[in-house]
Amino acid sequence: MGEAVQIKLAHLGIASIQVAAESVRDIVEIMLETDPNLGISAITGLDLGENIGVMYHFRLNQKLATLISEVPKSNPRIQSITDVIPGANFHERELFDLFGVTIDGHPSPGRLVLPEDWPVDLFPLRKDAKIDNLPAQGESSTEKIASAPEIEGTLVNLVVGPQHPALLEPEKFSLKVDGEIVRAVEPRIGYVHRGVEKAAETRTYLQDVYLVERICGICNSCHATCFVEAVEKILGTQVPPRGKYLRTIILELNRLHSHLLLLGHAGLEIGYETLFQYMWRDREPIMDMTELITGNRVIASSIAVGGVRRDLKETDISKIKLEMEKLRKRMDFYQNLYDKEPSLKMRTQNVGVLSKEDAFKLCVVGPVARASGVSMDVRKDDPYEAYGEIPFKLITRNEGDTYARLLVRLDEITESINIIDYALEHLPTGPFRIRAPRVVPAGEALNRVEAPRGELLHYIRSNGTAYPERVKVRTPTFANLPSFLKTAIGGTIADVPANFVSLDPCFSCTDR
Amino acid sequence: MHRQVGLKMAVDLYFFFRVLVFPGFTFILFFTFFCDWVERKIEARMQNRVGPAVAGPAGILQPLADFMKLLTKEEIVPKNAKRFVFKFAPVFSFSILVFAVSLLPIDGSSAIPGVSFQGDLIFIMGLVTVANFLLFLSGWASSNPYGSIGAARVLTQFLGYDIPLFLLALAPAFLAGTLSIATIAASQYLPYIILAPWAFVLFVITLQAELEKDPFDIPHAESEVVGGLETEYCGGKLAFLHLTRDVQIVFGAALVVELFLGGPYGPVFFGPPALWYTIWFVLKLLAVVLLSEYLTCLFARLRIDQIVTANWKFLVPLSVLALALTAALAVWIYPMPV
Repeated sequence: MGEAVQIKLAHLGIASIQVAAESVRDIVEIMLETDPNLGISAITGLDLGENIGVMYHFRLNQKLATLISEVPKSNPRIQSITDVIPGANFHERELFDLFGVTIDGHPSPGRLVLPEDWPVDLFPLRKDAKIDNLPAQGESSTEKIASAPEIEGTLVNLVVGPQHPALLEPEKFSLKVDGEIVRAVEPRIGYVHRGVEKAAETRTYLQDVYLVERICGICNSCHATCFVEAVEKILGTQVPPRGKYLRTIILELNRLHSHLLLLGHAGLEIGYETLFQYMWRDREPIMDMTELITGNRVIASSIAVGGVRRDLKETDISKIKLEMEKLRKRMDFYQNLYDKEPSLKMRTQNVGVLSKEDAFKLCVVGPVARASGVSMDVRKDDPYEAYGEIPFKLITRNEGDTYARLLVRLDEITESINIIDYALEHLPTGPFRIRAPRVVPAGEALNRVEAPRGELLHYIRSNGTAYPERVKVRTPTFANLPSFLKTAIGGTIADVPANFVSLDPCFSCTDR
Repeated sequence: MHRQVGLKMAVDLYFFFRVLVFPGFTFILFFTFFCDWVERKIEARMQNRVGPAVAGPAGILQPLADFMKLLTKEEIVPKNAKRFVFKFAPVFSFSILVFAVSLLPIDGSSAIPGVSFQGDLIFIMGLVTVANFLLFLSGWASSNPYGSIGAARVLTQFLGYDIPLFLLALAPAFLAGTLSIATIAASQYLPYIILAPWAFVLFVITLQAELEKDPFDIPHAESEVVGGLETEYCGGKLAFLHLTRDVQIVFGAALVVELFLGGPYGPVFFGPPALWYTIWFVLKLLAVVLLSEYLTCLFARLRIDQIVTANWKFLVPLSVLALALTAALAVWIYPMPV
C-alpha cells in the first residue's frame, strides 16, 4: 500500500491523502482508530475525463481532512463506508445519483436527489451528460399520492409531504404509524433539486456568488461567504480587516434572523401561535438592520470577492446598537418563557433525544450537535473572518432533546448580539474591499463556515478560466437529516413536527 | 270565533318569531358570527396582530364573508368517502347544536317557549355528545388518513372530557336543587361562580378541552394531521363544519353563563326586562369568550397522550371532589329554597 498513498499537508483541510479506490475503507478504519469520533462532512465527486474522482471530506479531531481516490468511468464502483461511518449514507447515495458511482455494500441504495423516473444512464454532474433529450416529467411519475391509507398489518402509512402544513418546503417523509406511535420513517428528498452545482459550472465566479446566495433565502450570506472565501483561498486574496468585520456583522445578523425565525416557527409547530407571532415581530428589526447595512432585507447580496459591497456609515452604528439592546431585553423575556412555560416544556422535553454517541455516528452538525453535548463550531474550530479575534461562548447542552436544541439557539442569539456589539465597537478603519481578478488561477479549495444551521461546506475547483470547473455544496440540513430519521422512531405523531423543526430543516439547502 | 283564530295566529306568530328570529335561529346564527369575530379579534390583539379588518367596520363581517365564500365553492366528495355520512353529518351536527342553544334561556326564557322541563340539563349535555359524535363520524367517513386520525382524536378527547364536564355541570344543579337549566339560572341570587369557584375553574378548563381549543386543540393540530377531520371537506360542507365549531363555542360559553354566572338575569333599569336580559346574557357570554381566548393564547398544544393522562389522573378525580364538596355545601352550608 505504501507507494499508493500520497499525503499533501495543508491541502483541502489540514491534509489530503490520495489512495487507490480499493483501500479507501482501510484508510477510513485507520482514521477511526486515530479519532473514534471521526465524522464525514461530504463526499465530492469530480469528472476527471477518463476517471471519476471521489473525495471524502472528514472531520478529523474537528479539522477537515480529505481522502482522495479515483475510479474508472467505464466501471465506477467503490466500497461503501456507511457501515463504519453511518453518517455517510446520504452522501454516498448522492454520489450515485449525480456521478453514477455504484456504491458496493450500501445498506439502502436508491435515488436520493433525482426523481424516480430519471433516466438510469444519465448522471447530470458528469461533463459528458447531455440533457437535451430528457424525457418530459409528469405522468410517468411512479410516486403515490397521499390519498388512501396504505395498511401493512397494523401499520398505517401516513405520508407527510411533499405538501404538508408542517413542512414549509416540499419533501416527503413516509411514516409507518401504529396508532399514534411512529415505527419507521422513509425520507424522499429532492423535490426542490435545482441543479445549482451544475448551474454554477456554466456561470462566472462573479455570477456564482449570486447563484449560491439563492441556494437558501435564510442563510444566504453564509453561502456567499463560504463560496467567496474558497475563491479567495485559490486567488490568495487577503480581505482587509474592515471587510472581515463587516462580513462578520452580516453573518451574525443572518444567524439572528434565522434563529428567531426557527424559534418562532417551532412555536407554531407545537401549537403555540402566540410565541410564533411574538418572535417574528422581534425578528423584524433584524431584517431592517440587514437592510440598513446591505441595502436588502433578505438576500443581502453584500458579500463580494475581496470584501463587502458597501461600507457601514458611522451614523448607522448607533442605530444597530440600539436595536441590539432592545433585542437583548426581549431575549430575557423569551429566556424566562422557555424556562417556565409548562406546556412548551411538556411538548419538547425528552422528545427526539439524540445521544452524544449517535450525534458523532450520524455526523450531525451545528446546533443539533451542540445540543447533544458535542462542542463543535466552525467559528471556534476553524476561525474565519473576524471570529478569531472576537470573544464569544460556545453554547452546548447535554440533554440532546428538542428542548435543548431550541435552547441552544436561544442562547446563541444572545451570543450573536454580543458578537455584533463587539464587532461594532472594534470596527477597524481602512478599506472594506480590494479588487480581485475575475479569472481565477487553476487550483482547488475547500472551505467551511458556521451557518445558522451548522457547518456549511463549499468545494471549488478552478481550471484557470473565469468559470469554475466544479462547485460542491454540502448544506447543514443534509448532514442533520439522518438524525431525525433515527429520533422520530418510537415517538408519537404529535412529536414529529416538534422534533423535526428542532433541526431547523431547510430543504432548499438540502436539495440545492 | 274570529277572535279565537286571531289569537291563535298571534300565538303562532309569536312562536315562530321566537324560534326563527329572536332569540331563536337568526339571532343565534348572527350572534355566532359575532362571537367568532370577537374571538379572532381578541386573539389577534393578544398576539400582536391586527386580525380581521377588511369586511365591514373593524372586520366585523369577516366571519359572514368567510361563510358565504365557502358556500360558493365547488362541492367535492372523495371517491372512497361514505357519501351519506360525509355529506350530512356536519349539517346534523350543526342543527343539533343550534337546537341545544335554543333550549337555553337567552332573554329570560328559552327560544322555544315553554320547553323547559325538569332534567333538561342532562338532555342538553346528551345532545352535545351526539353532536360531537356526528363530528367524529364526518371525519371517519372521509376515508383519509389525516381525517381518520383527526376523528379518532376527537373521539378520544370528548369521550374522556365528557365525564368531568358532566360531573361539574351537576355542581350548580346540586346548589339549585334542580336539573332544569332555567331554574338553575333563575335561582342564582348569588352567582355560583362565587359559591363554588372551584367547580367554575375546573368547568372552564374542561370546556376548553371539550371545545378543542388550546392547549387541547389536538384534533385540529395542522402541523400533525393537516386539517384533522376537516381535511377532505370543502365548499358548503366545510362552511357548516366551521359554523358547527363556532356554535359549539357559543354553546359552551352559554352553558357557563347559565350554570355559573347567573344566566341572563341581572339588574333591569328601564323598558322591557327581555331587552336587559339579552344584554346581560351577551355581555356575560363575551366575558367567557374572552377568558377562553386568553387561555388559548397562553399555552402550547399538548399531546394526545398527555391530555388523556391529565384527564383521568387529575380532572376526573378533581371533578368528583369538587362535586362532593359542592353537594356537601349545598346540604349543610348554603340552604337553598327550591
